[in-house]
Amino acid sequence: MAEKLTRREALGSLGASVALFAGAPVRIAAAADGTVTAYTGKVELGQGSRTELAMAVAEEMRIPLAKVRLVMGDTELCPDDGGTYGSLTTPQTLPVMRKAAAEKRGGALTPPGEWKVLGTSAADVRGPEIVTGRQVFPGDARLDGMLHARVVRPRLYGAKLISVAEAEGARLVRDGGLAAFVSSDPVAPKRAAAAARAEWAPVPFPADPSGISALAAYFKANSTPPVENMNTRYPPLIRRGDARTALAAAALKHASSYWLPYIAHTPMEPRAAVAEWKDGGVTIRTGTQTPFPVRQEVARALGMDESKVRIIALTPGGAFGGKQRGEVEIEAARISRAAGAPVRVQWSREEEFTCAYHRPAGLMEVESAVDDKGKLTAWVHRNYNSGAAGLQIAYAIPNISCEFHRSPSPVRQGSYRSLAAAANTFARECHVDEWAARLQADPLEFRTRNCGDERLRMVLERLGKGPGGMACTLEKDARIALRAEIEVRGREVRLKRFTFVGDYGAVINPLNLRKQIRGALVMGIGGALLERVEFDQGNQKTRKLSAYRVPRFGDVPEMRLELIDRREAEPAGAGEAAIALVAPAVANAIFAVTGKRLRRLPLSLAEL
Amino acid sequence: MHNGRMAVVRLLVNGSVRPADVHPGTTLLEFLHDYLELTGAKAGCEEGACGACTVHVDGKAVKSCMVTAAAQQGKTITTIEGLAQGERLHAVQKAFLSAEAFQCGYCTPGMIMEAAALLNEGDVVGAAGVKARMGGHVCRCGMYDEIVAAVLLAAGELRRG
Ligand code: FES
Ligand code: FES
Repeated sequence: MAEKLTRREALGSLGASVALFAGAPVRIAAAADGTVTAYTGKVELGQGSRTELAMAVAEEMRIPLAKVRLVMGDTELCPDDGGTYGSLTTPQTLPVMRKAAAEKRGGALTPPGEWKVLGTSAADVRGPEIVTGRQVFPGDARLDGMLHARVVRPRLYGAKLISVAEAEGARLVRDGGLAAFVSSDPVAPKRAAAAARAEWAPVPFPADPSGISALAAYFKANSTPPVENMNTRYPPLIRRGDARTALAAAALKHASSYWLPYIAHTPMEPRAAVAEWKDGGVTIRTGTQTPFPVRQEVARALGMDESKVRIIALTPGGAFGGKQRGEVEIEAARISRAAGAPVRVQWSREEEFTCAYHRPAGLMEVESAVDDKGKLTAWVHRNYNSGAAGLQIAYAIPNISCEFHRSPSPVRQGSYRSLAAAANTFARECHVDEWAARLQADPLEFRTRNCGDERLRMVLERLGKGPGGMACTLEKDARIALRAEIEVRGREVRLKRFTFVGDYGAVINPLNLRKQIRGALVMGIGGALLERVEFDQGNQKTRKLSAYRVPRFGDVPEMRLELIDRREAEPAGAGEAAIALVAPAVANAIFAVTGKRLRRLPLSLAEL
Repeated sequence: MHNGRMAVVRLLVNGSVRPADVHPGTTLLEFLHDYLELTGAKAGCEEGACGACTVHVDGKAVKSCMVTAAAQQGKTITTIEGLAQGERLHAVQKAFLSAEAFQCGYCTPGMIMEAAALLNEGDVVGAAGVKARMGGHVCRCGMYDEIVAAVLLAAGELRRG
């Protein structure tokens, strides 16, 4: 069985090289045959980081891309470069890699104007593995002597295990409130867990997640006002001037509020992890975005020293912000310890829907004022529950107060591609559009008039006036704008065309940048028009892919992308930003076509 | 539950007969991915809603999570691992490479198998035709445009021979 060997070898070879680099992590190692191995704590999720960081090494060491090998996300071998989130690989890790490679060469950093590899379109180095089915995903990982495990789950959201009965065909393993069926047969545990006879203690929701007004009221009633702290990546309070006083004194005012529901990341691969214990330590192969924090979580959960935990990240079938916490990893470590053998824990699609955290629901309230020249003068933006990312504002408004009011959530929630930028940009860009309509100004002209960023202004100019609806923002250092053209038939909204203009600073890999933008725009269609996790009588109703509409072939409009390449500017990460523009551009297009203002996601004329 | 007895199922996969001792209800996907460890066919939903598990049965694209392994005895099964001829990639695989029609790559084997079967049946009619025929597949990374471009590229390649 050649396939079997290949897959086990792929896993084994990483283990074999540990001894070579015990001690301080190495960044770059050159071998006698001319190949270079570079190490990074960042991981590949399909966003192109492996190719991009290899390009940096190739560029600065003056070697062909094919000579570079990258070891990623192995806590034993790699420097901790922080988690793979927030579009940080390009702005933060790329420079680190370039510098290390230039030092290794013994030369100066190559000026962007002289780049030969960076700045050109490089094919994804994983391509041949992917198209032949050889890529090893976490769910494909196998170790000799390994048992397969499925966790026993409640039907009721978040219920706690009281008892569970043994079953035929697979061994029941318990560790506190965690129970799983394990077997050397790969399928027996799945059937045993699905048919398990178990008793559960329900944990009711503190607020009904299915009713918008009840949930919004819960968020508001339980929220904590933000405290100013600008030394954080996403400041929870951004202030300029005195927004409330300016608002009170203004003559022309507008207030509106916006809502977005819980949605599910729905990566194509339900998560899986393989844990193996040896000499009091555990090694876990998993598709996490955050190997180092997960190592810490596993160590804490198992009551052991971090140095005894090794996480080896494998590229998962999608993550989108949803694979940042130790969950399947902790389960695999616990079950493996209890079973006394290496164990693979595989989640099903239903577990992916009901046990993983969701993108937070959120309420956004915006109040603002303009002067008699149609310039925004005051802006108060309150986000309840969904987050602080994307609160910053690229409009030149003298008085602002952009606030994130933290709240508890009745269901598990966490990071999602772009974090709250999708929520806050939706609110801001719809609200701005409402002003344009009220002042009978062209939406593009109104934005340009108020724009406070030169590069964004150029992006707006490039987009130009046109039909449909638009949105723009300055997100994660990217200046981007989107025009959405739609067709409305009855109550159905069809997307016709997206026109996107982006300035991401220096473009590192044009081919991959376009893929990232298109991927983010497509995913944005889900949040804008299709997706919502449904709850019903204290339980989660959404449990199957067939009951959760994600964007499919027929949902994607014609997409036109234009990039402004600024070699002289720092490159911005691109995995996330564009997703934030879809909902407001489409909502504004719906208004342009029907005269109806939709302020809740997913946008629906039928629910109006 | 597997109250039924385990039984040996023998399937002709990628040109060789492969046996495994399985429960009667075992799906073709489980047989391939979990018993034979031909992991190119992926579990995305296990209810026919994503296409990640697509393989060929007698040359036709089949969602392997929706049929039992036992029912495939006597048929010819091809998985992504058996699509290339040695090192020579199938035209669809080549086209997916040149169109970069993937990000994470999880949906890719299923997409490629669907497209290869589709192109085997005859010519596809433009982008709309491809979208209609591939409509049962999900790419959560959103590479739909790239995938359509890849299939059209492969169609052109095959037409030229
Ligand atoms: S796994 Fe078979 S269609 Fe989704
Ligand atoms: S490439 Fe990730 S799901 Fe299609």
